[in-house]
Amino acid sequence: MEKNQYKLCVEILRRFHQSGLMPHIILIGSWSVIFYEGYFKKNSAVKNFVLRTRDIDFLIENPKNMKLNVDVPELLKDLGFIVSFTGAKGYMKLTHEDLILEFLVPEKGRGVDGPVGLPSLGMNAVALRFLNFLTDNTIQVKVEDFVVTLPHPANFALHKLIVSQRRTKEEKAAKDKDAAISIIKALIDNNGTQILRDVFHKVPVKWQKKIIEGLKFAGEPELLEFITGGRPAKPGPQS
Amino acid sequence: MRGVIKGVLAEELENSLSMQKSYESALQKLPQGCLVPKKIRGHVYYYIVQRQGQKIVHVYRGKSSPKEIKEFSEAKRLRAKYRHSLSRVKKQVRFLKGALRGKEPI
Repeated sequence: MEKNQYKLCVEILRRFHQSGLMPHIILIGSWSVIFYEGYFKKNSAVKNFVLRTRDIDFLIENPKNMKLNVDVPELLKDLGFIVSFTGAKGYMKLTHEDLILEFLVPEKGRGVDGPVGLPSLGMNAVALRFLNFLTDNTIQVKVEDFVVTLPHPANFALHKLIVSQRRTKEEKAAKDKDAAISIIKALIDNNGTQILRDVFHKVPVKWQKKIIEGLKFAGEPELLEFITGGRPAKPGPQS
Repeated sequence: MRGVIKGVLAEELENSLSMQKSYESALQKLPQGCLVPKKIRGHVYYYIVQRQGQKIVHVYRGKSSPKEIKEFSEAKRLRAKYRHSLSRVKKQVRFLKGALRGKEPI
């Protein structure tokens, strides 16, 4: 199934690229780890250590600034994707037996109750906290003949540590922590310690504390030392 | 707490069950039957061939518009795709239920 999934994922990305959607979206979640392979010179097999479900998430940083019209359900219809709605509020997903595609947007201010409309894409999106952290620092990787934007692995890993503490299901929290730890280890193997420290010290103190708690709870004091550089949580901007 | 892998499998089972419902409802929404042309005395007339219980019936449609012909041909293609997907999803459900059926409570 995995080969089919990968092929399908690349086909989705290719269609997004051809329709001009690519500059507006960031591939996030566990599916972004697959494409970190090219970023890591050593320990590039990190993708094998991160568990993936069929959910593939695309983040749109500024949905209101998007000035293009792409009917995403129509664009992917012939691949076998069908529109489905989940929850009482009707969050839209595009469902295929190998992948489930969803759009996310950063939640701002007081937050929103229910899905955020994306009329230019014929979809709606889930608004979630902390997603700005992923858009702050991104990398671009070449996939076949186009470029995909991904969160920087340091941001990806630290974000996972933060959100793991907001999970209601313990096994999901554990999955997030495992993914974060695998990526942090790969970053350290690839001389990424300084980037990790820089990212860590830039985030608000509240978030720093969450990251520290996450690593302590995961029983990774050495990684904690690597990330904090022995310095206690402080200075970054206040949240 | 169940393990991470069991958690992922349970999530996937939930996804597959909801997918099964989505495919079944998508199949129901497609126009029923297949549009077939018949040449009668030099003219082409269209019939919808569909199953009604045990019987196969031909419903006369006359001279269909190109739009209708396209709609039915698209529906035929999608029906085959969705049926294939539904069959795969059902296999996934069987596999995932089997994988989750252990000695521990799930």
